[in-house]
Amino acid sequence: MSEKFGVKVEEIFDTMQERFRPEGAQGVDASFGYDITGRGKWRLTVKDGAMTIARAEDLGDCVVVTRADPDTFVGVNIGKVDGTEAFTTGKISVEGDMGALGKTFKLFKRFTPPKKEPTVREYILDMFGTLTARFQPQAAGDSKLVICYDIGGKDGGRWTAVIEHGTCTLSEGLASSPSLTLAMKAKDWVDLMLGRVDALTLLSTARAKLEGDMQLAMRLGELFAKYTPPGQEAVQDEELLVLKKVVSVGQKFATGPVMGKFLNGLKEKKIYANRCPVCKRLQLPPREVCAVCRVRVEEFVEVGPKGNVRLLDTAYYASPDPLTGETRETPYAMAYILLDGCKGQEAFAHFIRNDQLDRIEMGWNEKKGTIVRPVWAEERKGKVTDIRYFEIDE
Amino acid sequence: MKEGFDTSNCFTIQGKLALPYSYFAGRVGSRFLVRIRDEKKIMGTRCNRCAKVYLPPRQTCDVCTEDIRDNWVDVANEGEVTNFTVVRYRDRHLPKDPPYILAVIRLDGADTSLVHVVEGVSPDRVRTGLRVRAVFAEQTTNTLLDIDHFEPV
Repeated sequence: MSEKFGVKVEEIFDTMQERFRPEGAQGVDASFGYDITGRGKWRLTVKDGAMTIARAEDLGDCVVVTRADPDTFVGVNIGKVDGTEAFTTGKISVEGDMGALGKTFKLFKRFTPPKKEPTVREYILDMFGTLTARFQPQAAGDSKLVICYDIGGKDGGRWTAVIEHGTCTLSEGLASSPSLTLAMKAKDWVDLMLGRVDALTLLSTARAKLEGDMQLAMRLGELFAKYTPPGQEAVQDEELLVLKKVVSVGQKFATGPVMGKFLNGLKEKKIYANRCPVCKRLQLPPREVCAVCRVRVEEFVEVGPKGNVRLLDTAYYASPDPLTGETRETPYAMAYILLDGCKGQEAFAHFIRNDQLDRIEMGWNEKKGTIVRPVWAEERKGKVTDIRYFEIDE
Repeated sequence: MKEGFDTSNCFTIQGKLALPYSYFAGRVGSRFLVRIRDEKKIMGTRCNRCAKVYLPPRQTCDVCTEDIRDNWVDVANEGEVTNFTVVRYRDRHLPKDPPYILAVIRLDGADTSLVHVVEGVSPDRVRTGLRVRAVFAEQTTNTLLDIDHFEPV
């Protein structure tokens, strides 16, 4: 494989058409250039929900050109390299409209490298190609050994390994006076090397033949390190330790008189806002001072309890609830609700009943959103959670 | 706020902030702890340039900035107290009941020191230069407390 990740740059471009997502291409009408060091340039053109990709000489008409080395480009595309990191470390450089580049991320499904099993011939070539590299000199000592491999079938071949003075050389053909000759079909040799079949089975069923020094035959596993197929190297079993701890911090919040008025109101199923004496706007939850006019706010007004949803903010990734430390179940949604008596920006934020999220419609301008009502906790303690959530008023 | 304001609505709310943490021991740290846990052996890493042996092991030599993550060497389970303090208060994060001795111990074969608990000698008798040996924990926890404590030789 030409690339570090076993995927060729060309494969990324050649599969773009089948990975293309028309829904991600809406409103995109541009050409994007790719310049991969040593591999050439490609131009991706997206228009009317369709795309073309082709090699190019000149990328002058592209809104943005991405430059990267082959390993980085492939790594980012198959998710093995972090794109942002590659960009900040200069492994990817971008020339032109960065914003336009962002659109290309939605255009394609992630490239998944095809799982290709090497053919028997490829295995044979790789196994003998790596034989001398797998040789273990300390196991050979000073002995002089000549091992012939007679691998039959169209995928096979004939090789002779000569071990002398602690080095191993491999040549094609069979030597005339070997210490040991192994003969079997290519497929059986591959299976043996991959551990799919054991030597005893091959010998007892006469699929393999050994001639010469049987003791040497027994030592072959020491003379040569175990064969690992390409792409599976360096997978090491390593126990990694992680210590998980939950740090719990006790907290106390003083309500003060204004927030206290609001929270005490919840105990009696009343929602209080306060009204600025100058600008007349409502603040919900109430604050001691008007955030706009910076004057003390004394007048409380009961609002709600019903209202219409202006904005629904759905969370799919839960953060711990700061009051309890528990992690919330997802999805959950925070809604900005304009309670009766409030207007403009005076929306109140609270949860929406989880099983009704998909039925909530948001309002805008004069259009009202879904009307919701608070669901009160049985036992109310003067907390925001005295309202469990809002539900559709029906 | 003016004095004598109406405090009838004031109260306090109890809260709790729970922060889940994952501490990764790192590759070098993991190997160090696994060896202590499974084989009751203490290993450090050695810099091939300046020959300094780090214990606990480090990935990089702090003198030469050499990568030393693969240069594992065994150090002895015995060593010398080079400094100590006596912990006399109790807290949830502390490993033992007070009073106990927290010592800086240099194991034979190491050039840096390990902080650990010394038991088997009373806090007013412990001295620098005291020879101690590791006592391994029966119940392992994948932490440095898989060495339960050190005791006088």
